[in-house]
Amino acid sequence: MGGMNYTVVDSKKLATAEIYGKTLCELGEKDKRVVALTADLAGSTKIGDFKEKFPDRFFNVGIAEQNLFGIAAGMAKAGLIPFISTFSVFASMRATDQLHTDICYQNANVKIIGSHSGTSYGQAGSTHHAIEDVAMVRSLANLKVIVPADGFETANAVRAAAAMDGPVYIRINRGFDMNIYENEDYGFEFGKGVLMNDGNDVTVIANGCCVFQAIQAARILESDFGIHARVINLHTIKPIDRDIILKAAEETRRIITVEDHTILGGLGTAVGEVVLESGRACAFKKLGLNDCFSAIGFHEDLMTMNGIDTEGIVKTAVDMMKRAHVVEISSDGKTTKALKFDDRDFEAEIDWTDEV
Amino acid sequence: MALTKSEWIELEKKASAVRQLTLDTCYWAGGAHMGGSLSSTDFLTLLYFKYLNFEPKNYADENRDRCIISKGHIGVAIAALFSELGLLDREELKTFNLTGSRLGVHLDSRKVKGLEASTGSLGHGSALALGTALAARVQGKSYKTWVLLGDGECDEGSVWEAAMATANFNATNLITVVDRNKFMIDGNTEDVMKLEPFSDKWRAFGFEVIEADGHHLSKLSDAMEKAMQTKDKPVCLILDTLKGEGISFMAGDHKWHYGAMDEVKYELAKKDLLEYEAKRLARVEKEA
Amino acid sequence: MKEVSITQDDLYAARIFFNAALPLLKVVIQSKPNIKKKFEKKNFVFQVSALYDMAPGGKMATHLVFNNGEITVKVSEIHPKPDIEFVFPDIKKFIIFFSGKGMPLPKMKGIVKNMGSFMAVMQGLLTMSKLLGSTDAPVAIEDQELLVKLFFYLLPNGISQLNKAGHEKIHDFALKSPDRAYAFAVTGYPALNSYIRFKEGNSKAGRGEYPRCKPFLTLRFDSVMHALDILMSKGDMVDYMANDYLKVEGAPEFAGIVGEFMFVIGDYAKAAYMD
Repeated sequence: MGGMNYTVVDSKKLATAEIYGKTLCELGEKDKRVVALTADLAGSTKIGDFKEKFPDRFFNVGIAEQNLFGIAAGMAKAGLIPFISTFSVFASMRATDQLHTDICYQNANVKIIGSHSGTSYGQAGSTHHAIEDVAMVRSLANLKVIVPADGFETANAVRAAAAMDGPVYIRINRGFDMNIYENEDYGFEFGKGVLMNDGNDVTVIANGCCVFQAIQAARILESDFGIHARVINLHTIKPIDRDIILKAAEETRRIITVEDHTILGGLGTAVGEVVLESGRACAFKKLGLNDCFSAIGFHEDLMTMNGIDTEGIVKTAVDMMKRAHVVEISSDGKTTKALKFDDRDFEAEIDWTDEV
Repeated sequence: MALTKSEWIELEKKASAVRQLTLDTCYWAGGAHMGGSLSSTDFLTLLYFKYLNFEPKNYADENRDRCIISKGHIGVAIAALFSELGLLDREELKTFNLTGSRLGVHLDSRKVKGLEASTGSLGHGSALALGTALAARVQGKSYKTWVLLGDGECDEGSVWEAAMATANFNATNLITVVDRNKFMIDGNTEDVMKLEPFSDKWRAFGFEVIEADGHHLSKLSDAMEKAMQTKDKPVCLILDTLKGEGISFMAGDHKWHYGAMDEVKYELAKKDLLEYEAKRLARVEKEA
Repeated sequence: MKEVSITQDDLYAARIFFNAALPLLKVVIQSKPNIKKKFEKKNFVFQVSALYDMAPGGKMATHLVFNNGEITVKVSEIHPKPDIEFVFPDIKKFIIFFSGKGMPLPKMKGIVKNMGSFMAVMQGLLTMSKLLGSTDAPVAIEDQELLVKLFFYLLPNGISQLNKAGHEKIHDFALKSPDRAYAFAVTGYPALNSYIRFKEGNSKAGRGEYPRCKPFLTLRFDSVMHALDILMSKGDMVDYMANDYLKVEGAPEFAGIVGEFMFVIGDYAKAAYMD
């Protein structure tokens, strides 16, 4: 990519938030209107580089999120392109009124980067888990919502956000995401889901850190159970890619959504709305936090506990395959597809002998 | 420079016209925030007709001075003011609050040209204004930003977040104005939630505080000029005002924060405003 | 015979040597063409055992079946009539011998009758002990790779064996573990990879790339030499991570536990608990 000030090799070792910081610098270089703001989380959200490079375009407003959002809105009104960085939990809830009124209502050209999303700051507990942010921001008119799956996608999302007019909320993790892409050139398109694995038995629709888990689950479903899972990285929640969802509903008839978020109002809800409105029948299961707060712990362990890791997805897919599978019904020379419910058994014997 | 007599008289007439049109609009709309509109009118008139570097014809000029109306519930006064400025067709004021109108209690900056921000939820304007002030600095522009707050609004913590930041960033291109009319919906500010010592609070936050009679155009003009000339600190201009100023049955009555009136009351108010104008002009004659 | 008291540590160490280290003989033989050649036409069973009353059959043993160049390892299995057998009088002596702490020679059975096979086995064992016992990295590049491979195979096997033996710390970890694999890798050398998979108390050591999906965590070295530095305790893991010689693919919090288990195995392999 032209104009990149870090190499792909570098970015492989960079945490997602750091890639955001680098990309922001790159944008700041190209466009003098880009300014960065934070509320005492410059270090944690990795925008320190921007501060060093463009001290006059960097604003730390202290621990005052309402002020952070208001100032950014004012700056946008005056023609700047402010990027706000703070933890997702504060970005979505500590200044929701400012987000609603100052930014979304006025369609202010503010980009909000919520880091440490979901349970990714697991050790910090529920005060710092952002498991409702997508539900909150998805409901705000004018606001577009992107949940990138890794650092490369974060870079793409940040560039896409900068390129469009109006407010965008980008939800990223604490960092340390497993990469699902080799580089940035996989054809990221705002508003379009990415097919990560093809299959016609069941579709797993995920975003953020759950995409990696879904891809791994698809491999295991294939090797251990002979189940061909389609995996879709639905990085843009709003506007949602209806086509890719409906195609999956049509062709696989089973959809599992996976998100590091409450199942009330997030990705699963958004996908469910699309399917339901289409009138198509589809076995459907949302994985995520089920109307509860998460325990404290390492992110990976919390993902396991909350059933959104590889194993959780595999179990859900196997269970769904047991319960329903597609059959073709012929009548009057016409063949139609229908769901048949039965008890297909999937047994996976594990040989625990060490290899010697 | 103090107001010249002719200037003063002209501004008194503008203020009267805005007050009158505010009243008309309230009557047409079947209700509006009269109290806080009337307490702000003199300041808004002076600002928009004298000090704000703002050409209604070039309302989007990027070098214009900005004014953010943080007390967004005075949309009725703003609509009247903007009509006087030629930004809004007078006839359109008759649609205020009606279904499908571009105008309602809290004005929408995406629908009303010249309006800098959509406000209504209180405590938002200061941060927005600080944003435009800081943007001027980033862009190397010399425009000024004014923000008009209500006093009850200062209960909101976000006002003080912005105050702290304004001093922190030493945003001397931002002038904070508080319409201290001493009333909020539920009553006197000192009964509902004590604000005093109010000016000390602003001073403690790092502001140069200027206090002025908000209904005396000449004194207010002096105060605004002093505010604009202050360069070492951000300024907070506290306007000593009366809620409902100019209409006897509204003045000083918090129940007129928002209200509607029948034809009898409307006629009475109109008469009151005319008497009030006469009183004000007499004062000009005496003092100028 | 003098009564020897066997401790839990002895049993863990013995288990690592019998079930994780001795099987590496097969790897050494297959990796060294000159040694491999010597087994091409030989058919015999080689067993190492240590007498232990408490074990079924009265001893612990591992045997390798050589069949015209093909080698099958049978861990924890006593062959009733091995062609060649090294018998240690007790577990402690077996550990002292294999950890390099001393040379309490075992009773060697069947060597006269199978001198050729014995010589070949000895060559394999000596090569292995020279590699694993040396304090400096080998000079030859193929030996460096082989040594990394031996360590990479030994560590997951050792960890898995201790889990199966109920080692408190490791088994406790395994019991709490969801289905997760931890892998060792050197970039550009996929043949060296190994992994250990845990799930609800079970564990499995494996070789090559983890087949089911991307491992939960991979300790990835950028070069064979940097891997050797860490494996031979010549480099500091944190420093190496800071310099990108060692990269953790996955959550860094979990790299610590793998490092800790590596040291547990390393200490048993050196019989450090006897010091």
